[in-house]
Amino acid sequence: MSAVLCIALREARSFFRVPLGWVVIALYLFLTGVVFAERTLVPGEPASLRYLFSISGFLLLPVAPAISMRLFSDELRAGTIEPLLTAPVRDLEIVLGKFVGGVLFLLAILAPTLAHAAILVAVSDPQPDPGPIAAGYLSLVLLGGLYLAVGSFFSTLTASQTLAFLSTFLFLLVALLGTSDLVAAPPPTDRWLAAVAIGPRLADLGRGVIDTAHVVFFLSGTALFLALAHVSLQSRRWR
Amino acid sequence: MIALLGVSKSFGRLRAVADASFEVPKGRVVGLLGSNGAGKTTTLRMIAGFMPPDAGRVMIDGLDTIDRSLEARRLVGYLPEASPAYGEMGVEDYLRFRGRLYGLRGRALADAAGRALARCDLGEVARRRVGTLSRGFRQRVGLAAAILHDPPVLVLDEPTSALDPKQVRQARALIRDLARDKAVLVSSHVLGEVEQSCDEVVVLARGRVRARGTPSDLASRGGPGVGSGSGGACRVEVRAPADRVRALLSVVPGVAGVEALSHEDGWTRARVAFAMTADDPRPAIAAALSAVPLRELSREAIGFERAVLDIIESADA
Repeated sequence: MSAVLCIALREARSFFRVPLGWVVIALYLFLTGVVFAERTLVPGEPASLRYLFSISGFLLLPVAPAISMRLFSDELRAGTIEPLLTAPVRDLEIVLGKFVGGVLFLLAILAPTLAHAAILVAVSDPQPDPGPIAAGYLSLVLLGGLYLAVGSFFSTLTASQTLAFLSTFLFLLVALLGTSDLVAAPPPTDRWLAAVAIGPRLADLGRGVIDTAHVVFFLSGTALFLALAHVSLQSRRWR
Repeated sequence: MIALLGVSKSFGRLRAVADASFEVPKGRVVGLLGSNGAGKTTTLRMIAGFMPPDAGRVMIDGLDTIDRSLEARRLVGYLPEASPAYGEMGVEDYLRFRGRLYGLRGRALADAAGRALARCDLGEVARRRVGTLSRGFRQRVGLAAAILHDPPVLVLDEPTSALDPKQVRQARALIRDLARDKAVLVSSHVLGEVEQSCDEVVVLARGRVRARGTPSDLASRGGPGVGSGSGGACRVEVRAPADRVRALLSVVPGVAGVEALSHEDGWTRARVAFAMTADDPRPAIAAALSAVPLRELSREAIGFERAVLDIIESADA
């Protein structure tokens, strides 16, 4: 088992051993359940989870930072970062292991929401198209990965989980709102903001459109923030 | 196995370690002593690979901890101060996790975890969560994690600070036993414990190595290391009346008091107490007594604890 997988599995399991993990699961299932009941199970409407996926940028907003705040801040607070950083493991492996652990826990959170798709299949006529649902779940994983990478970076900066949560939450909120239609920026800023906007990409994926550009956008954003987290962790050795 | 070559480390304007050099050979237990803020933990962290030195080199079995960091770290078992461990994990789970990070797998991992649990007397709490254990047990979990992969080098930061007297005795015996084929560096505040369990001692004060040697060396020897700046006493035996001896010695700079007693054979034994002084007072005493026959001029063994405290206090002064 590689060091990345070893760290990832420990990280993912640890979420189920602390109350926070169950609170996060309950919060996400409650939010998605309300949206599903209010906006998806509507008589006469097409059987689709499109709305759920399109607003997942906001649904994951409190959830991802709650996961990522533990990744490094808790280690820094408890001092467990010291035995970890003195083990024969590269800093990049630590960052990737913790990130993958967070993603595994996110997948565990998303898994119960498959019940929404199952209910939709059971009660709808005609049946929902499976393509957009699969693409929607892909968008959730890509978006969750990006959010967790951002949160990982902020988590390396502070030993306070509260600070890590708030800084990640605010950053993501500003990024979401700042690139939405709510902000009317003058040219060429509007084009730059549109290029990094998350909302339209989620909407496309929710419709079943798997555009390579969208996938590359999420993956490259994730890689960027993981690289920043790596640099931040490495710099701790020199402080 | 461990070699520090002119190692320095600063945090901002604070010089935590300055030009420190010493070695810990295989088969020896070396104690790192010093007051709070002396640079002990920073030194241990550099050896363990947690942070690099600003200057100088730390070598583990010939491997530079910067250039060949991963290989060097693999050779070190490190117990950080306060023995941090994941509180939500079971003791055995935690040890297995640590073992995997050091490349142990399958049967080798299970055997190593079992051995570490047994050596640190953790069998009864193997399935309990680390976070529910007493501080003493947590410290033993940290020690078990440090020895798990059977490293040739052990770096232990205050390994017995939370243990009860019985556990301290067990831990001391374990460390002695481990040192048969390992290099062990232990930091501690408990001078008596270091005196009993360490082959050698390195005294740090204000980030600098102020003295090194065996505990008995430090306890008994005068001169540089212990003599400089320390108080203490000398024993003198001269052929002269006690009054004359007192008169001759009382004018020696630094002498705080003279107790002299004449014997029937004409010799007088005197104990000369001296205050803090920059130099070894024996040459001055010998000069003052040059007019009378002198048969003994020795420095009193001042005791290990007193010697170490003198070194630290003189560095802080």
